[in-house]
Amino acid sequence: MRARRILAIIFIFILLCPAAAHADDPYSNYNYDFWGTPIPAPAAYVPSRIINGTSLGIGSFNKPSDIFTGPDNKLYIADSGNNRIVIINENWGLEKIIDGFDKNGVRDTFKNPQGLFVTPEGEIYIADTENSRIVHLDPDGEFIREIGPPVSDIIPADFKYYPTALAVDKANRIYIVAQGVNQGLIELDSKGEFVGYMGATKVKFNMVDYIWKLIATDEQREKMVQFVPTEYSNITIDNDGFIYVTTGTIALEDIDRAISTRSKDDRYAPVRKLNPTGTDVLRRNGYFPPVGDISFRSRGYAEAGHSQLYDVCVEDSGIYSVLDKKKGRVFTYDTDGNLLFVFGGIGNRIGNFWNPVALDIINDQFVVLDFNMAQITVFDPTDYGRLVKEAVELHLSGKYDESAASWEKVLKYNANCELAYIGIGKAYLRKDDFRNAMKYFKLGNKRDYYSKAYDLYRQEVIGDHFGLIVGGLVVLFIGSRVLKRIRIRKKAGMKAMGKVEA
Amino acid sequence: MEVLQSLRYSLYLIFHPFDGFWDLKHEKKGNLKTALLIVAMVSVTYILRRQLTGFILNEVKLREINIIVVILSVALPFFLWCVANWCLTTLMDGEGSFRDIIITSAYALVPLVLINLPLIVFSNVITLEEAAFYRFFDILAIVWSGILLFLGTSVVHQYSLTKTFLTCICIVIGIGLIIFIILLFFSLLQQMFSFFYTIYKEVALRL
Repeated sequence: MRARRILAIIFIFILLCPAAAHADDPYSNYNYDFWGTPIPAPAAYVPSRIINGTSLGIGSFNKPSDIFTGPDNKLYIADSGNNRIVIINENWGLEKIIDGFDKNGVRDTFKNPQGLFVTPEGEIYIADTENSRIVHLDPDGEFIREIGPPVSDIIPADFKYYPTALAVDKANRIYIVAQGVNQGLIELDSKGEFVGYMGATKVKFNMVDYIWKLIATDEQREKMVQFVPTEYSNITIDNDGFIYVTTGTIALEDIDRAISTRSKDDRYAPVRKLNPTGTDVLRRNGYFPPVGDISFRSRGYAEAGHSQLYDVCVEDSGIYSVLDKKKGRVFTYDTDGNLLFVFGGIGNRIGNFWNPVALDIINDQFVVLDFNMAQITVFDPTDYGRLVKEAVELHLSGKYDESAASWEKVLKYNANCELAYIGIGKAYLRKDDFRNAMKYFKLGNKRDYYSKAYDLYRQEVIGDHFGLIVGGLVVLFIGSRVLKRIRIRKKAGMKAMGKVEA
Repeated sequence: MEVLQSLRYSLYLIFHPFDGFWDLKHEKKGNLKTALLIVAMVSVTYILRRQLTGFILNEVKLREINIIVVILSVALPFFLWCVANWCLTTLMDGEGSFRDIIITSAYALVPLVLINLPLIVFSNVITLEEAAFYRFFDILAIVWSGILLFLGTSVVHQYSLTKTFLTCICIVIGIGLIIFIILLFFSLLQQMFSFFYTIYKEVALRL
């Protein structure tokens, strides 16, 4: 009887225990190791919420094409198909809809606005695409000014001006991405006057191509790829006024070459960081350049096909993320260009996309806008994701020991994280513990830092055993001398004996 | 004993190539056994080099090694060289027999072993800044062996230097031709096989 009761209690407890937590993410989580092999990794971000027009009670979005995080954590959405701007407050509720404005007493509306930018003061700049203008509104949505097509001698008269994305720096200069412009960004001064193009990719002269062109017939020449600079797809600006741009028009062979040679070159880079003079200053010190996926095997984690980077967002720390439109993934890189994590994917589940077109970060949550699904997916960081970011940020702010402690925790989640080993190695190197530094740099496949640590370690060893080394050399030298003597003597002796015999 | 003596002779040969190769052939200082041993040693050197080179300079996946591939990457070019060399020099009044060619070519590879083995140790005690020395000796070994191969060909066939030079170029082209013919042969064989297999299948399914 008693035994039965105990059994029953045990059974009840077993039933009460929840089934082992089974996280089934709607996408594969991986990161690339030094060899470029995708290695499974814990999820860094998981989908937490879907926002669409219906859930906000304003009718579904229609072909939304841009989102932007403004001040006070408000989210601005360019609902292009409905010709309106939707503002969401920090509790994910509707704040306001701007579907028109009062221009000098006349009511005016948008026509397919595809891009927007909000200044830290809350002023809204809207790329009113099919009206060929930029509309500048104050934080309350009241009209300030409109900026029409740029006027200049270098712009052809029949140029159709369709601005699709823009960014405004602290000096109120406006940088515009417009359809069909491949000279770079259109830069306007604070008054809206055309200054020039900036950030155009350098076209590099290729001797081999030139020779081929000389030999080729006219028809063949036409078929050859034109030396056309890249066209930018999106733009964002960081706190220090650096402009981040993405482009999807780089030839796939060039991207392949950049991956296989671990290139740090900016010419074939789908994401660039431009300084105010338009020069690329993005650091590409990771194992591979930041181009999204780098392994295209048909099986495994990174499915076939190149990434097509379409949007970029930057955090205050300088960590930036790019959105892969084709494969629906978000790649997050640190300031050195190391890939921190990857999440997202194409599909039908929550956390998947059909055609993601815009990405931004709000607090520590990512928001991704899907053009075809007409909805926003919010991603929350997991403990792992939070730890990785924390470690990188601590390292950037110079707190190396705290950073190493965070990396140690990261390793508990993901023993394959090479960045963690490197981070810990750097901390050891600063503490003059060269042996451990070497060990960790080796685990992280970081040869240059390993070499530094090894150099110092070697000095230490030689310094400690200087007497022994010099002593050993002296003994060797004398020993070899003595041996030689003995040999000569032996030979002489043998010769003498031979003579005697003779 | 014979092999050991012959190996010791190779140390003299690499510094005195003209005398060395002459005596190798005419004084019978070399033998086939030693020659094959040297080729085996070169293969082993390359395996060791792949696996034991210091971390800083070694960018291969240590966990994945196919020894057969490494051995073949040494042995195959060597024998292709010998065969192409023999094919051409028999037509061009060369005096060396196939045996002579194998022995000469093998002895010319000795610097690869002599330099690469210490380099493996060296690579483990240097930093990235000193890698230039490593690269220098790495190239030195190849250049030295190349020169020996050239001089060996010249001595063993009693060619003038210009003739040797032209022959060497022809040998390289010949190697390319041999590879091409082998590939063609296999590809044709495969097609023939699939042709007969299709006929067999056709007949078998119809009956």
